[in-house]
Amino acid sequence: MSIKLEQLCKIYNADTDFPVHAVNHLDLEIKQGEFVAVMGPSGSGKTTLLNMLGGIDTPTSGKVLIDGNNILQLHDKQLIAFRRDNIGFIFQDYSLLPVLTALENVEFVMQLQGHSEQECRKRATDLLIRVGLAEHLHKRPAKLSGGQQQRVAVARALAPSPKFVMADEPTANLDAKSTAELLDIMQQLNEQEGTTFIFSTHDPRVISRAKRVIVFEDGLKKEDTVQTEVSQ
Amino acid sequence: MLLKLAWRNLWRNKLRTSIVLGAMVFGLVGVTLMIGFMNGMMDNMISNTVNWQTSHLQVHKKGYSADPEIHKTIESSRGLELLLDKTAQIKVWTSRHLAQGMIASARSTRGITINGIDLQKEALITPLAQNIYDGVWLDDKGRNPILVSKKIAQRLKLRAGSKVVLTFTDKNGDVSGAAFRVRGLFETPSSAFDEMNVFVRKADLQLLSGIEGDHEIALLVNDIKQLESVKEKVRGAMAQSNSVQNWEELQPMLAAMSASMASSNIIILVIFVLAMGFGIVNILLMSVFERTCEFGVLMAVGMQKHKILQLILLESTFLGLVGATLGLLLSLAALSILNVTGISLTAMADGLSAMGLDTLLYPQVPASDFAVIFITVVLASFLAGLYPARQILKQEPVQAMSEKH
Ligand SMILES: Nc1ncnc2c1ncn2[C@@H]1O[C@H](COP(=O)(O)OP(=O)(O)OP(=O)(O)O)[C@@H](O)[C@H]1O
Ligand SMILES: [Mg+2]
Repeated sequence: MSIKLEQLCKIYNADTDFPVHAVNHLDLEIKQGEFVAVMGPSGSGKTTLLNMLGGIDTPTSGKVLIDGNNILQLHDKQLIAFRRDNIGFIFQDYSLLPVLTALENVEFVMQLQGHSEQECRKRATDLLIRVGLAEHLHKRPAKLSGGQQQRVAVARALAPSPKFVMADEPTANLDAKSTAELLDIMQQLNEQEGTTFIFSTHDPRVISRAKRVIVFEDGLKKEDTVQTEVSQ
Repeated sequence: MLLKLAWRNLWRNKLRTSIVLGAMVFGLVGVTLMIGFMNGMMDNMISNTVNWQTSHLQVHKKGYSADPEIHKTIESSRGLELLLDKTAQIKVWTSRHLAQGMIASARSTRGITINGIDLQKEALITPLAQNIYDGVWLDDKGRNPILVSKKIAQRLKLRAGSKVVLTFTDKNGDVSGAAFRVRGLFETPSSAFDEMNVFVRKADLQLLSGIEGDHEIALLVNDIKQLESVKEKVRGAMAQSNSVQNWEELQPMLAAMSASMASSNIIILVIFVLAMGFGIVNILLMSVFERTCEFGVLMAVGMQKHKILQLILLESTFLGLVGATLGLLLSLAALSILNVTGISLTAMADGLSAMGLDTLLYPQVPASDFAVIFITVVLASFLAGLYPARQILKQEPVQAMSEKH
């Protein structure tokens, strides 16, 4: 499975005197199993790009092809189901449901897929143990630290077994230790389960761990390099 | 999970939810008490009328009610009386000899209906015998005893022992009359009835009018549900020239009021539910819009829009369920207290008595009204969730997520 962008454009304020080309005629292909960092200055269009890759934002023009199928042609309902089954999201501000416990937050997205309660319970527990939250299964987000919350978010993103995980500045609110732990977890999952990670970041520590780095500026791809020397 | 989520979301802002619930509960208690008070008033008015005046059924000669002339007695009443005695569904019945006439004292004169009654049976069919305030109930002793109401006694300056003169037109069209001695003073809940009626022994009146027979038969049934079948039975047994009427036909005004009470209760309820509905919409708009970002996330992670709609509707329905349950429980508590103490309206005694009401009222809310209120409130809350849900579902996930609060 792969994601391919063809001549993708996102223009904000198109009908004003100052249109913003957040993403400008971008061609890009990301294959399953990649571990990609998108870096670039603030306002360069990273968030916009990730949102369109994940199918939660509509481009002004161009195509988003998943295995050759343009997801922009899907109906609302199909698109939501597509995201549910194929894309995991990790947001900068964690975006967990505050009224659900860590475990329930993870179970919930699996239940949306129609898995049985036992299945959800088992996989959610496994994932949370894997991200090191065995002790915190029944705590609500407000009772967890930022790093812990982000690990719940990782577990939630992975619970439905997505092919791709979009992470927009996942470490922006985390300290060095939590960042390192989170990267370990993501890297492990990438290597063991072949989950594709695409994350945007400013953080050099994160970039140094990526296998592929895309440098983005003014909505344009400036560099696209595969790093052979990935630091551990 | 959706249920759990909705329930917890409801209690996210405890203060706000409690305020809405408080308003709902307060309003519901107000509405049920209001409805209960109106029902209680109506019931009281009806039961007073039935108990004191009309009984369940009355038989007259046709045309007597419109023009009560003394020669219009019930035809072949003997046979009818035998049937009344035999019918098990009938609790008690009595017959009256009536005359339209005047009562005069040294002071003043008034037009009244003279009720010639059967002492034993009359005492069973109305509470009159137990409500003699000055003096005593009629008995066989003495010449021409009479009961007058407190009202008439006041107007004519009478008390027990006073002498009055009754005059009326007899069967030959001549004015007939006799002196009576006040044996006691009565009072019923209706001042209008009191001003228009005096009671004498039937035999005394028949002697004066020179007419055998009766003008009115009144009866009470054991079970109000059997009223119509008893009515048909009576109709079948009596002469064609008589008519039998139930209390609703005897007091059409009262029956109409009772019917319109039902619709006025519905109007009160509708106004309340509308007001409450807008309150709930307002609260839900607030609670849903401040979570716009969260709904964006839910859509992003693959929650279908109909599920989100379900979630919001569940929240609003829960609100309605909790509010209606608490409100009705509290109403029930308030009603059961008031059903013991009663609502005392002594300050308005005169006005109440003009309407035939007691000064102590007991609010009544039938179970069916509770059910209707409960269902209406829950339904209104459910519907109140639709508008906020619509507003949220119009948004795209990114749009929704970018909305911070
Ligand atoms: N909803 C919007 N309306 C108008 N302009 C927008 C909107 N969202 C983003 N933009 C503009 O599009 C450009 C790209 O924004 P984007 O958020 O994708 O950048 P970014 O690389 O994620 O920045 P950062 O590193 O600060 O998160 C910016 O110039 C931004 O001002
Ligand atoms: Mg960004």
